[in-house]
Amino acid sequence: MDYTTLTIKELHALYVEGKVTPLEVVKQAIEKAKKDKTNSLEAVTFEQALEMATLLSATAVEVDNPLWGIPYFIKDNISTKGVETVASSNILKGYIPHFDAEVVARLKTKKAISLGKTTLDELAMGGSGMSGHLGRTYNPFDPKKERMIGGSSAGSASVVASGFVPFALGSDTGDSVRKPASYAGLVGFKPTWGRISRYGLFPFAPSLDAVGYFTRSVADAAILLDVLAGRDDKDLTSSFEKVEDYTKYTTSVKGIKIALIKGISDNISNPTLKEHYEQTLVELAKRGAIIEYVEIEKSLLNALFSTYFVISCAESTSNNANLDGVKFGARKEGKTYIDVIKNTRTAGFSALIKRRFILGSYSLKQENQELLFRRAQKARRLIVEAVNKVLTTHDFIYSPAAPGVAPLFDKKSDNLNIAHLIEDNHLVIGNFAGLPSITIPVCLDNGLPIGVNLTGRAFSEKALFGFAAAIEDITGLKNLQVEDK
Amino acid sequence: MEYEAVIGLEIHVETKTKSKMFSDAPVDYNAAPNTLVSPIDLAHPGTLPLVNKKAVENAIKVCYALNMTIDETLYFDRKNYFYSDLPKGYQITQDKRPIGKDGYIDLNVDGKITRIRINRVHMEEDTAKQLHIIEHSLVDYNRAGIPLIEVVTEPDIRNGKEAAKYVEMIREIVTFTNVSDGKMEEGSLRCDVNVSIRPVGREAFGTKVEVKNLNSISNVEKVVDIEIARQKAVLEAGGVVIQETRRYDDGLKETISMRVKSSAVDYKYYPEANLVPIYIGRDFIDRVIATCPELPTTKRTRYEDEFKLSQFDIDVLLANKDVCEYFDQTVKFTKNYKIVSNLISGEIAAFLNKNQQSITELKVEPANLAKLAEMIAGGKISNKQAREILEHLFEKNQNPELVAKSLNMVQISDEGAILTLVNSVLDENPSVIEDYKNGKDRAFGFLVGILMKKSQGKINPSMASSILKQEIEKR
Amino acid sequence: MIKMNKDKLKELANDLLFDMADQEYDTLLKEFDELIALMDLLGEIPNVDRGEPMIFPFAVTNTYLREDEAGTPLTKEEFLSNTPDSFAGQVRLPKVVN
Repeated sequence: MDYTTLTIKELHALYVEGKVTPLEVVKQAIEKAKKDKTNSLEAVTFEQALEMATLLSATAVEVDNPLWGIPYFIKDNISTKGVETVASSNILKGYIPHFDAEVVARLKTKKAISLGKTTLDELAMGGSGMSGHLGRTYNPFDPKKERMIGGSSAGSASVVASGFVPFALGSDTGDSVRKPASYAGLVGFKPTWGRISRYGLFPFAPSLDAVGYFTRSVADAAILLDVLAGRDDKDLTSSFEKVEDYTKYTTSVKGIKIALIKGISDNISNPTLKEHYEQTLVELAKRGAIIEYVEIEKSLLNALFSTYFVISCAESTSNNANLDGVKFGARKEGKTYIDVIKNTRTAGFSALIKRRFILGSYSLKQENQELLFRRAQKARRLIVEAVNKVLTTHDFIYSPAAPGVAPLFDKKSDNLNIAHLIEDNHLVIGNFAGLPSITIPVCLDNGLPIGVNLTGRAFSEKALFGFAAAIEDITGLKNLQVEDK
Repeated sequence: MEYEAVIGLEIHVETKTKSKMFSDAPVDYNAAPNTLVSPIDLAHPGTLPLVNKKAVENAIKVCYALNMTIDETLYFDRKNYFYSDLPKGYQITQDKRPIGKDGYIDLNVDGKITRIRINRVHMEEDTAKQLHIIEHSLVDYNRAGIPLIEVVTEPDIRNGKEAAKYVEMIREIVTFTNVSDGKMEEGSLRCDVNVSIRPVGREAFGTKVEVKNLNSISNVEKVVDIEIARQKAVLEAGGVVIQETRRYDDGLKETISMRVKSSAVDYKYYPEANLVPIYIGRDFIDRVIATCPELPTTKRTRYEDEFKLSQFDIDVLLANKDVCEYFDQTVKFTKNYKIVSNLISGEIAAFLNKNQQSITELKVEPANLAKLAEMIAGGKISNKQAREILEHLFEKNQNPELVAKSLNMVQISDEGAILTLVNSVLDENPSVIEDYKNGKDRAFGFLVGILMKKSQGKINPSMASSILKQEIEKR
Repeated sequence: MIKMNKDKLKELANDLLFDMADQEYDTLLKEFDELIALMDLLGEIPNVDRGEPMIFPFAVTNTYLREDEAGTPLTKEEFLSNTPDSFAGQVRLPKVVN
């Protein structure tokens, strides 16, 4: 039987019934992962996983712990003790952390079993899955290997969509979990800012960053949040907000007010997406949801990408200033200490990252800060005010998660292009305002998945899961994955 | 042309805490290199800053001592630059909203009181330590992340003496409030000065020169005066003062240029996004102030107004926190402040000096020193006797009254006893009485002498004197 | 803001302590122009400069401060395990001259 293609909930049920042991499941997961053709893996920990699975299999299953014995992968910008973590950058080659990220530690306590790390765009700064140090990660839904899976959490999306494991950790700064989720037919979840501890997450832009994850069902996403949510004193930005029982959501949408943003929701170019997107709304209305178009000032929508670009590049420049080869990482020698740092950074960063750093640094320079960085921060405030205003009168924002199916590799690039359609970048609203946001599949277009995105008020994860699960019921698209060819 | 100097000081104080400013790595100035380091101090990816409560309390105490307005919310910023001793490539500091602003301190220089305005007090973290040997530099991260408090004055200081006095007062404040060891020689108090000169009467400032890392208070005075003289000489020779950073060379006894400031370095300051604003509130601040050890300025005022000690005495006591503490303990048991002060700065200081001890090792307990003072004040013993008793107390802490008794030093202060003795002396010396009555004053002294001899020096001199006078008049 | 050219970009790269291949500067110069065009979109937001910059996604202040207790530091072996070059337990660099 195929165990790794089950959801967490289903697998847990089998464990409880004694139908399978963690060892059998982990063995299966490892076998599949070894045959990965999508270039999704970094450092793997198969030996440790087998050890842990063996130990667990000799003990009684924890009936009330749905993560017991569940295999998973971790995006390689999340710190894992004793396991090389390089965030897909050559500059971090050989770096082995002394500590686990908080999320990893919590999953360990819950006896989930990590099989290793996954690929990403270098330093999480990208949306194509192409800029990693191991080269591009492929979308498993395209056997021709011509399509991307998006980024930056490319590898984590792939391992779940490929059916190796039921879930994988990622991170989302502009849409880095929620966009690849759309391209890979997955549930991609980003919590409220501060809901999940960022301790151990390599920082890209702390005011936007969140740990997120991929699952194949909404119920699984709720199970994970039960464990990962909550204050961590090792992250002073983590929230004291009470942790709810997220799995106890209701899928009733009666009286729920759904907002569609003009300029985003009425601008769908892919006909299959448009059809299913709208059909879903019809069904929601039938079940008592109230659906309305709202307006957000056009100039704000037009500025979404530039605001994101400036803030994230500027913050990332500062956050990666610690990568100098002095204390850790792949040092290159030199005659003076400046040469050492310079040679290290020149060799260690890709050209793309360097270009981003230069632009970021430029916006932070004292003479430019007011007109660039601070203006972008002011624009952010206006955008956030507008979005929060919508959410005072409506419960959720409903939008397409991507313009269409996963793009071909040569169609998308990380070169800046002024013709960035709003439809490609609007998910960043969730990062600007720190709102919980989830992508779930809504249709398949010639076998390639496309998702919708739901965003709610801060700390409304439980209601968000309920709404997402309702849509899951409507579309019937649950536990999608690539078929074994 | 008359010039006046315009001087501002920046002082960095390393504060006494068990752990670092943003990490829980231990703080210990004597540990082997790189044994007090956490991943946070090494800027390992994914580590986050954790603000130390004690460091905040220390900063509040300094703000309080300097009469600053204290912010009820803490904000932190990043100062971005690259250097071999800066692990993160930025320092977490407080740029826009320092914890303290708009304060002042009053300097007393040779009787003249000058108010120096304090622009800001803020918290930041220390850098790693570098050891330069032959071809290499070695970096020790034990110091990286230790809490620092920075104190910046307005350019209100006018000469080397004021500058030195200011640094002395800051040192006093941070040691008395238990915030820091305040030792310039060890680097727990560091001082940079900014010096410029302008013609007297002109409002605009001259070009500012920074002189860094002065390592003693006496050097502060010296260096400031040397720099003022240097700038004067440059201007008088028709030259122009260059904006630059200089350092003091102790061998050459002059300031040397380190680097010329072509333009200010751009630190790209922006708010630290890994630290949300931390609200501490007025109650917290008040509690810290309430539990703060007595400020040196408060002590000075108390010693002056209540105890009526001289400036000199006060300076001696305040020069050392432990000495001051000992004094405070002693005067809980006696009101003879001046006598206690003299004992401490005199006999006790000499003893400690001779034996290379600190006052914390002194065996004499304050209560017993107080008793001794009382004995002196009450005329029960002479100063010479007091010194003798003290020698015994240095060896072993004991009640000075018992010591005096055992040494047979107890002074005769009983009126009846003295009366008897006086009358017996008078009886034995009728001719001297005649001399006294005939106006020979020396006769009185002669009789006192006999009294002293007869009582083996134990008679209370002042009582003897007055009773003798009284009895001799009767005859 | 000044008119950008390759030399100024090289200066910026130098400030960040790295260098790039020559053609990368050409790419960057193009991207820079695109960035400026993007910035114009920011300028088109009515009253964009009126408000306060937003630093965090929502207004939050906490009161938590870490108690001053010493934790467990890295062991000597742990410290050295990631150090690229060391000597006598310290990180080693070419001599840093002021």
